[in-house]
Amino acid sequence: MSDYLYDKTGDDAEVAELEGLLGGYAHRAPLRLPPPRRRRRWLAIAIPAAAVAIAAAIALLVIGRDEAGRGCPGGGPGFAFAIKGAAARCGGAAAAAGTSGTLPVGAWLETAAGAVADVRVADIGDLVVYGDSRLRLVGTGPDQHRLELARGRLSARVLAPPRLFVIDTPVAAAVDLGCAYDLTVDADGHTHLRVTSGAVSLEGKDGVVAYAPMGTEVVAVPGRGPGTPVAIDAAPAVRAAAARFDAGDAAAAMAVAVAAGPRDTVTLWNLLARTRGADREAVFRALDALSIRPEWVLEEDVLAGRPQALEDWRQSLDGEWMMR
Amino acid sequence: MSRGALEYRRAVEHRDATVAELVVAVQAGSRAAFAGLYERFHRVVHAVVLARVPARDAGDVVQDVFADAWARLGGLREPAAFPGWLLTMARHRAIDHARRQRPTDEAGDLAVDPPPRAEAAAALRAIRALPETYRETLIMRLVEGLTGPEIAERTGMTPDSVRVHLHRGLKLLRDRLGAGGDAP
Repeated sequence: MSDYLYDKTGDDAEVAELEGLLGGYAHRAPLRLPPPRRRRRWLAIAIPAAAVAIAAAIALLVIGRDEAGRGCPGGGPGFAFAIKGAAARCGGAAAAAGTSGTLPVGAWLETAAGAVADVRVADIGDLVVYGDSRLRLVGTGPDQHRLELARGRLSARVLAPPRLFVIDTPVAAAVDLGCAYDLTVDADGHTHLRVTSGAVSLEGKDGVVAYAPMGTEVVAVPGRGPGTPVAIDAAPAVRAAAARFDAGDAAAAMAVAVAAGPRDTVTLWNLLARTRGADREAVFRALDALSIRPEWVLEEDVLAGRPQALEDWRQSLDGEWMMR
Repeated sequence: MSRGALEYRRAVEHRDATVAELVVAVQAGSRAAFAGLYERFHRVVHAVVLARVPARDAGDVVQDVFADAWARLGGLREPAAFPGWLLTMARHRAIDHARRQRPTDEAGDLAVDPPPRAEAAAALRAIRALPETYRETLIMRLVEGLTGPEIAERTGMTPDSVRVHLHRGLKLLRDRLGAGGDAP
């Protein structure tokens, strides 16, 4: 059957008229890239030599220095930050509103109530750390940038390959998959993740993983790890059933399956790996009815919980989740 | 011959080189392979941007996205993830740009060369007013002229999802244009 809108087979005067009307906006510009940089030969020698000299100077500055209690002056290795609104402490020393510096590896940045710290994450993104928060730079390098949020709230915006940026909390690790998100840790260590763009893998210390794409949120609780992600606009019935499931009521998976609608496919997909037997089958039926399962994702593989089948289905669903 | 040159020669020799093969060649330093990626993806990136940014500015944002991609592609560990990575970057850039603009910049859709008909700008605004789910897909099809299978290949959506999005989106667009009397 012809379907001009989909594959341009057959005729459809209305679609053709819209194409004619809107086609003038189509993109036709060629690629503009900066010209390749040509290094002069002497630079090829001078640059490595200068790098060695700078590294040696930095090493001299850093060796023997006790970071805690010495503050976080700008210019050294670490993440640049700027304090606004109210005071903060960095490396044990006071940092007044309006000051900037560099958060070195191992040091804590602590914001007072009412303070906001803008933190630059290497060359891949930015954090906004809100008041009454405690944040530490665990490590930074070409393979990973890792922070620890012990308490408080931050917004992260990162543009990097998956898994390059990680924030640890007392109960889980928020592993960036290319995204923007808000992360909150309360005084008891409860972690709340809300994803506004891209996706985050919230990974518990016991191996439980929650995949949270844009438009979803998930809570991790001490002793239980990451819960089941739900859509930010999930229906109360779905939200309540998912919370019951996370609290240990395995039968609540069935209630999620019954109440789920199109916006809840993320919840259902996450439940596939967390359920067994009849519960998993109910979740599968609901997800299969609400989404388009690729033909290569076989029902028996999903019901058996085979990781590759779940991953293949997730990749297919990702296209829809990321287009919302 | 360097690994990059070999990879690119392979890409040229096999016109059906995969996106992953082109990404590997770019990571080895091939600008020509990057031009190949641009050829495949510039229209979907433009659609993602145009769904959020006035037409007058969309071209510049597209160039910024590809300049960013060129600078950062070396860090992409999984070459097959390139489409999603690129489109996420385009959405971020477009959202950033839109935040800096006035809320309604109707003139921005007319100030392009050649100047479009007022009905075209009205139709574009009507698409932008649709739920996000449908905006990008409809612009890829009606503005950029990509077919459904091409959209699926470049975005990672399933062909069936693309078909559903196109038909539901067009129905909503038809209702909106009919109700508003805007265009065409």
